[in-house]
Amino acid sequence: MTPARLAAAATATVVALVLQATLIAPAALTAQLSLPAVLVAAVALESGPGAGMSLGFVTGLVADLGSAHVAGLLALCWLGVGIGCGLLVGPHRHVAGQAMLAAVAATVAGALAMLGLTVVDEPGGTALGAVHGLLPSLAGNLVLAALVVPLVRRVLRADALRAVGSG
Amino acid sequence: MLAAVAVVFLTIDLTGSGLRGAHGGVQGALGALYRGTDGVLGPVRRFVQGVPHAASNRDTIDRLRRENAQLHERLAQDAAGASLNLDLSRLPSTSVPARVIALGPGSGFDWTVTLDVGRHNGVQDGETVTDGVGLVGRVLHTSASTCIVLLAADPGSGVGARDTRTGELALATGQGTSGFAVSPLDPATRISVGDQLVTGPAGASTYVAGLALGTVTSVRTSADGTTVAHVRPAVSPTALDIVGVIMTAPAAEAAR
Repeated sequence: MTPARLAAAATATVVALVLQATLIAPAALTAQLSLPAVLVAAVALESGPGAGMSLGFVTGLVADLGSAHVAGLLALCWLGVGIGCGLLVGPHRHVAGQAMLAAVAATVAGALAMLGLTVVDEPGGTALGAVHGLLPSLAGNLVLAALVVPLVRRVLRADALRAVGSG
Repeated sequence: MLAAVAVVFLTIDLTGSGLRGAHGGVQGALGALYRGTDGVLGPVRRFVQGVPHAASNRDTIDRLRRENAQLHERLAQDAAGASLNLDLSRLPSTSVPARVIALGPGSGFDWTVTLDVGRHNGVQDGETVTDGVGLVGRVLHTSASTCIVLLAADPGSGVGARDTRTGELALATGQGTSGFAVSPLDPATRISVGDQLVTGPAGASTYVAGLALGTVTSVRTSADGTTVAHVRPAVSPTALDIVGVIMTAPAAEAAR
């Protein structure tokens, strides 16, 4: 990881968390949409499991500590998103397929996080809510992925970031 | 390796308050970012939230219906307050106006909102938040210029409630956007559709007593005699914007 990639990752993480809290979550209270999870998946699909895992853990931990729920839950779930998406596909897969995979991964991670809250007996999580929210969350995450995945591909393939290593 | 670190974080946070400082630091930093970007993102958020009602009179009709329902609830509360001889003058009346600037930064399952007021405005942990008529939630954490509020609608959260018609106490459990599920403490109590519920009892609840919780829309009694009522909330958790933090007496004095 080089300074340019580190700076890009840090900026993307902060922007995603701020947009999630101020725009996406208020606009979609009935579904568990997650821009940070889609971002982690998109990066992993392009850069592999190493970058995906690191970004997922750090982004999840910051989101955990900035929230009211127990720390480590989203870090664990989004770390899984990073590894899973990084292992599933190589960097040459079609953008539509990557967007679909990113949306599915973010939705599954959201449902698992909600189930995790139920398991550790924290407020906010219900098993029924996790199941009921699957379809609307998938639809919303698909929209997010359709915007985020092409953007991430373009940024990660930019010369300024490509010249310094493959992740 | 990172998975093990995440599990360690989970264990520490579940078993004690070792990460309280880290939570506070990150929440404060993110809160400052939310506050800083609210000038740009706030109008966009309110526009996006209003899109479902655009180009129709439904918004106005809904607002008038809500106001009508709120006036009915106030009348019912006034009548109940008189009959129960509640000492309303003892309730804290000083509140700090605030605006919702963000929700949780995670996956959208957090039933919390961030307000643009904090310790500098005299806000303290545990204080009740209202929209002027009904219960919104309570302050979970305060930083210098922002605070995080746990919404009463949070699934699994409990609110002590009082039926204004009978005066009986009940426990209301948050159900997200669906409202509340209410179980009377005395199984023999009869809850009827249309009953108004307020927070209570005074002095023994997490929340300031007497705030509207909602209206009973259906009642179900199971074979074992357990009664569960569904309550439509007085405050919609999806339409929060301007709210007030009701300050406790020492905090109110300090803020003056």
